[in-house]
Amino acid sequence: MTPPALRCDQVVKRYGDFCAVDRVSLEVDGGEIVALLGPNGAGKTTLIGCITGLVNATGGTITVFGQDVRRDFRTARRLVGLVPQEINFDPFFTPLESLMIQMGLMGQRPDRAWCEELLDRFALSDRRDAYTRHLSGGMKRRLLVAKALVHRPKLLFLDEPTAGVDVELRKSLWDEVRRLRSEGTTVLLTTHYLEEAEELADRIAVMRRGRLLVVEPREAMLARGQGRSLEEIFVELVHSEEPPCSP
Amino acid sequence: MFAVDWIALRTLLSKEVRRFAKVWSQTVVSPLVSTSLYFLVFGVALGSRLRNVGGVPYMEYVVPGLIMLAMINAAFLNTSSSLFQSKINGTVVDLLVAPIGPFEMLVAYLGAAMLRAFIVGTLVYGVAAAFVGPKLAHPGWTLLFSAAVTASFAALGLISALWAEKFDHLAVVPNFVLTPLTFLGGVFYSVQMLPPPWDTLSRLNPILYMVNGLRYGILGVSDVPPGRALILLLTLLLLILAAVARLLARGYKLRS
Repeated sequence: MTPPALRCDQVVKRYGDFCAVDRVSLEVDGGEIVALLGPNGAGKTTLIGCITGLVNATGGTITVFGQDVRRDFRTARRLVGLVPQEINFDPFFTPLESLMIQMGLMGQRPDRAWCEELLDRFALSDRRDAYTRHLSGGMKRRLLVAKALVHRPKLLFLDEPTAGVDVELRKSLWDEVRRLRSEGTTVLLTTHYLEEAEELADRIAVMRRGRLLVVEPREAMLARGQGRSLEEIFVELVHSEEPPCSP
Repeated sequence: MFAVDWIALRTLLSKEVRRFAKVWSQTVVSPLVSTSLYFLVFGVALGSRLRNVGGVPYMEYVVPGLIMLAMINAAFLNTSSSLFQSKINGTVVDLLVAPIGPFEMLVAYLGAAMLRAFIVGTLVYGVAAAFVGPKLAHPGWTLLFSAAVTASFAALGLISALWAEKFDHLAVVPNFVLTPLTFLGGVFYSVQMLPPPWDTLSRLNPILYMVNGLRYGILGVSDVPPGRALILLLTLLLLILAAVARLLARGYKLRS
């Protein structure tokens, strides 16, 4: 049987007494797009951090295509791509150099033709030899996505990829996500734009205070509202009863 | 099972080398200029008054210490600034999501820092040779001491960068540890010139053994037995490497 693209089993992350991720269990099948929603501080980024290696989970197990992210971290990380929430860039390198370096860091022999193709796909070709510090905010965001894709991951995490970007770039990123799905890539994205989840996601998950409140197919989630918008359903969900943090 | 991703290691090493090479005037030329000034002031200006130290003209005597000073700074600054900057600008994420273990990180960061230190050291040696003539009494010892010292300080730079949360923290080790210990470590004088108890106290300073080790390698003279200095340095290096490998494996201040 093919293992799921992602399996989180009772994942916990504590910072002292604060429980950032509280017994989260989630399965994502290959080729799915799952939107992870939740207010600020819900634990979405921490959960993604636990999966991608940025955060050491306090408890629980996480596997990516059957590979334990801690025990088999090398294999697991080669399968995963991450577009982090915060824009980052290395001022010493150009977009082309950044892609070539990231490809090598992910354990693949740097392939210039593929990196140039990615730059072209993200409309960065004409700035490929400029230092990244001279790129606009939108360009830096596109470079982040290109870097996350450079090793052709089978599971991609997009942590608020469209935060603070203009409408045109948002639409182009949506097109890219659809394209990735058509190529078989599994995508888990967090977003505060509910229309983004409605537009792209096969399933929608909602987190609050570290807990996963609900995971449902998009249609089932929308059906909850009986004609109301996803935004209204979301507000109702996150204002439902207070989930206590596990002891 | 111990595994190494050689492509990732080579990529990180090459990235670190290119990083300092892109700002060569700051990373290579600047230490060359400052060390040359030391050499001119302490060697040429004062050297004519001091004559011989340990049977060697003072201008020659200060050369190994100045080379060591430059190499220590280059090795420490390369790792500390690179890792700390990547923490501050967020690009450390690129490393943390990569299938890289502590071994690859350690070898790549140390390799680049040692290369920078060797380039700087060779250039300073070249400048000194122009004044006092080329001297290399024991090339093997010179290489061994240089490698052990630069690896130790490159690893210390990594520890400093891991621990630091702001630029002030990063300056603590160079300002309050490295500089005093280096200047009191026999760069400009022989400990035999010091009155008690300073001569004995100086022997507690590990940099004294580094400077004298290189002095033995280049000039063939030393305040301390070179074999003992090398054993001390290698022990120190192993301890530092073990500490930094453990910190990297734990993801100390890298993975929350």
